[in-house]
Amino acid sequence: LEAPCRVLSIQSHVVRGYVGNKSASFPLQVLGFEVDSINSVQFSNHTGYAHWKGQVLTAEELNVLYDGIKLNNVHHYDYVLTGYTRDTSFLETVVDIVQELKRMNPKLVYVCDPVMGDQGSMYVPENILPVYRDKVVAVADILTPNQFEAELLTGRKINTEKDALEVMDLLHQMGPDTVVLTSTDLPSPRGDQFLVALGSQKIDGTKSTQKIRMDMPKVDAVFVGTGDLFAAMLLAWTHLHPNDLKAACEKTISVMHHVIKRTMTYANEMAGQGKRPNPAQLELRMVQSKKDIEDPAIVVERVMDV
Amino acid sequence: MHEMECRVLSIQSHVVRGYVGNKSASFPLQVLGFEVDSINSVQFSNHTGYSHWKGQVLTADELHVLYEGIKLNNVHHYDYVLTGYTRDTSFLEMVVDIIQELKRANPNLVYVCDPVLGDHGSMYVPQNLHPVYKNKVVPVADIITPNQFEAELLTGKNISTEKDAVEVMDLLHKMGPDTVVITSSDLPSRLGDRFLVSLGSQRTMMPDGTKSTQRVRMEIPKVDAVFVGTGDLFAAMLLAWTHHYPNDLKTACEKTFSVMHHVIQRTISYAHELAGPGRRPSPPQLELRMVQSKADIEDPAIVMEATVLTL
Repeated sequence: LEAPCRVLSIQSHVVRGYVGNKSASFPLQVLGFEVDSINSVQFSNHTGYAHWKGQVLTAEELNVLYDGIKLNNVHHYDYVLTGYTRDTSFLETVVDIVQELKRMNPKLVYVCDPVMGDQGSMYVPENILPVYRDKVVAVADILTPNQFEAELLTGRKINTEKDALEVMDLLHQMGPDTVVLTSTDLPSPRGDQFLVALGSQKIDGTKSTQKIRMDMPKVDAVFVGTGDLFAAMLLAWTHLHPNDLKAACEKTISVMHHVIKRTMTYANEMAGQGKRPNPAQLELRMVQSKKDIEDPAIVVERVMDV
Repeated sequence: MHEMECRVLSIQSHVVRGYVGNKSASFPLQVLGFEVDSINSVQFSNHTGYSHWKGQVLTADELHVLYEGIKLNNVHHYDYVLTGYTRDTSFLEMVVDIIQELKRANPNLVYVCDPVLGDHGSMYVPQNLHPVYKNKVVPVADIITPNQFEAELLTGKNISTEKDAVEVMDLLHKMGPDTVVITSSDLPSRLGDRFLVSLGSQRTMMPDGTKSTQRVRMEIPKVDAVFVGTGDLFAAMLLAWTHHYPNDLKTACEKTFSVMHHVIQRTISYAHELAGPGRRPSPPQLELRMVQSKADIEDPAIVMEATVLTL
């Protein structure tokens, strides 16, 4: 009997394009995960387009949906996955739900992308920070902050790799056993066409951690939805490679690479010579990347032990 | 490598858990390489066959707002529209308006419509949806997938024989769609009472300007369980396979019904294992094994043959 791995993903839905649940569901399903999805909003498209329209789910409505699941006694999940949220009461309701689901299944793994901002500025309301810092991170098992978010959560600045390692240890103390700093400003030994990402995972049954560094080629484009895809794929690959963050990250980063490369090629073709692609053209080529998602060719030599 | 560029707008229900509406249609279409834009007409915890269900519905206005967002960005270009179960007449009328506009933007757009009204002689949507489907929706549809009851309701004609069914499908062609599949009927199967009969009819324009109609018949094994979401999967897969076989309804139906067979078989096996010997599986246990059926969706082994009717 194949016991399915069931994920509850609480993220945005866009009619067109790939962010939030649209970015996370298909790749997880393609990898064989059962994905239950609560759509926190329904928008026509992501907010990087010239226009966007739609409706948001309130904390109360989120509760109602969860209640329906619970009344049927099917509130049994192996994973919870969350991302971009703007509403503190919604986020607090998410925490309540995660806590209850963990009582139902103590082995539940909560994968949390603590989306707050990037490059030194917040793009969510400021009052989200204390909710993440004081309530959400405490119940998270896997956390995927960028440098700015990691600094916000710990109150520590990252100027060197040593700082980054200390920040990840602080984050472990706050809750999650697995932390991935998805991007930083740290200089890469491979040169300025590369950015540095770092990961840290507590080793089962010990107090020590496996720490890794990844050097990833920068891309000359603004993508939306890549963070959501990253968190979903990290969920998948840490599931398939538990206790081996290096292998999990190699797979995750390789998938990202293939999807982004395919997307860039297509976007540039659509835009035409010398023109910058627009948001619609830059939507991730998700469906076209199915084979890479299923079985990512490893783009090697990216992941080093630190 | 040349990739398929085909964009579907699917306007159906969303359930948090399980496979009906958009949850049933999106994954299989995406797995087959279609870009699926989806407007969720409702968001419920699960389908309404469970003991409990909770959630929220989208109003016709909210539907319009979402469509406006797409339009303002000038990305309202679709190759297909797909709709299914709807309970609200104003919502359905808004869907028709949207389709008419999308057809002006792309005259080659194909609207695949499952005219969900009821089954086995009784309606399970409000009665006032019937005239909306008959007078407004079906005329703009290109492919429809009624069951026998719905085909009878829409045409006002009863089906007692295969000849009746063919006449009803011809009447439906006259109302709009060039492709009609009566997904299930009470007609006696030539393989015995463990089978039900499905029929299809496709009207194509010949090079000389005349119309030619291909009619097919399939004997489908009955299953001893109530599935939810299978009609939605059927319509989505018929979209996909008529896309690949636009003038060959026989092959499109063989592929579509074969996918259904594989998914249903896998689901039934799993449901019985979960329920245990001698016990009837529950609605959660009977959720389609969609994700596990990916390989069958991508490349369905043909397990049944459609007979071409020569009349």
